Amino acid sequence: MTDLPLREGLFHIPESPGDKPYLIGSRCRVCGYACFPGKSVCVRCRRDDTMAEIKLGPYATLETFTVMRVGPHDFPPPYVIGYVRMKEGAPVFTLITDCEPKDDALKLGQEMELVIGKIREDSRGNNVIGWKFKPAERQVT
Amino acid sequence: MKKLAREVCIIGVGMHKFGKFLDKSLKDLTRVAVWNAIHDAGIDAKQIEAAYFSNVLAGLITGQESIRGQVFLRDAGFEGLPIVNVEGACASGAIALREAMITVGAGVYDMVLAVGAEKLYLDDTARSIAAMAANTDVEFMAGLGFQFTGSYAMTLRKYMQQYGWTQEHFARVASKNKYNGSLNPYAQYQKPMSVEEILSSRVIAWPLTLYMCATMGDGAAAAIVCSQEMARKIGGKLPVTIATCCLRSGEVTGEDDGQRGIAREAYDTAGLGPPDIEVAEVHDAMAPGEMFRIEKLGFCRAEEMGQLIDQGYFSLTGKLPVNTSGGLAARGHPIGATGLAQIAELVWQLRGEAGARQVKGRNSLYPRVGLAQNSGGYVEGSPAALTVTILKRDVA
Repeated sequence: MTDLPLREGLFHIPESPGDKPYLIGSRCRVCGYACFPGKSVCVRCRRDDTMAEIKLGPYATLETFTVMRVGPHDFPPPYVIGYVRMKEGAPVFTLITDCEPKDDALKLGQEMELVIGKIREDSRGNNVIGWKFKPAERQVT
Repeated sequence: MKKLAREVCIIGVGMHKFGKFLDKSLKDLTRVAVWNAIHDAGIDAKQIEAAYFSNVLAGLITGQESIRGQVFLRDAGFEGLPIVNVEGACASGAIALREAMITVGAGVYDMVLAVGAEKLYLDDTARSIAAMAANTDVEFMAGLGFQFTGSYAMTLRKYMQQYGWTQEHFARVASKNKYNGSLNPYAQYQKPMSVEEILSSRVIAWPLTLYMCATMGDGAAAAIVCSQEMARKIGGKLPVTIATCCLRSGEVTGEDDGQRGIAREAYDTAGLGPPDIEVAEVHDAMAPGEMFRIEKLGFCRAEEMGQLIDQGYFSLTGKLPVNTSGGLAARGHPIGATGLAQIAELVWQLRGEAGARQVKGRNSLYPRVGLAQNSGGYVEGSPAALTVTILKRDVA
């Protein structure tokens, strides 16, 4: 069984205990539009010379979530999905981990933290590695 | 969108009933809807000069790619025509109508067929479900456990938190639409259902329960689009004018996902506003989705929604009847046909032909202005394709 990233160049996998994970997105230096996955063209300005790569994470705010009670074959229910907004401004669709599959397990607006890890198995039994978010462990000050 | 060079109207609509038809092929569904529309228009079928064909998943499900419209319309009796295949997930039907309108409006042809057909029920359900993932950015969304039920559920949760919408409101909307569907002979589900039955059905993705959600479906719908001069010459049933039919892809950097913007564009181009609309069909793959469509279309504020639902404002006898056909969850949602099924319903309502579910007009016996909102697919947090169509009829 091999670990395979969902796609190369989307995120940083921590290599040591102090190393933090992050997502690789982009931001427009003219209008500030930030997105993940990164793009080379700004959707707001529609220009191809204004986007620069940025690191996103590890913290984000939970915008909404739900517990899926049905799922495709590679996602056995129940599983939790959500939308988070990175502190840097980019919205991200994500699986949610370290969370009971309960309809009231999370509060909208709460702080979430990026985890890079297995999101599913592919048809050959490989671990597909991608991004997930868990309720943040740090105390919000 | 700029004004068309000439006025365009719909002179005939037709459907194949929506439902589960394991013994029928896409050819059967297409043929029935097309010929129902031709007979409804009372035209000689040879007058049709071009066709736009809407279908989404036949390629993935059956392998019939590339020339879907040409294959299915040959079986319906058409040769020697320009046939254009269009798709935009669940909004494909409205896109076909729009292309037909533009072609006639530009004066290229006088009479054009728009038809949408879809067959999702197969012996192999897993294949149909897997094919639905194609309505998203497959590289990211499908591989991360995204499902449309989840998308609706997550949007509704935000409205619940912000505006006090409740699961009970959602069940009330679903129950209203099940009732409307029970009066529609073309609907997939023709059984009324109580609020309690809907609330107690199993949870799919909270706050959505099973009976709030559209299932798979088979079906087809068609419209005959022609110039106003031509409609006058033919002198059939009362023509219904396409006051506007707008299309745009979803937005990620604007005020919202693009729905408010396209609603404004539709009202501006039609020279009408929300108070002019007397009946509406909106895209509710999960019945409570009707509520945020209504809000985005400017019919009421999100804060008033719960109260209006409790008052029956959007029911058949209410001030603004919405989804008189039953909507997607009751009429059914064979995705490539849905947009044109909405149009067929509006045409029937505007002509006073909607039978037991006929609604009254505000200033005349039947409604004079109807709106259809259709959307499809999902790309990075917004619908892939958004459409708003406004139909109106002259005073009869």
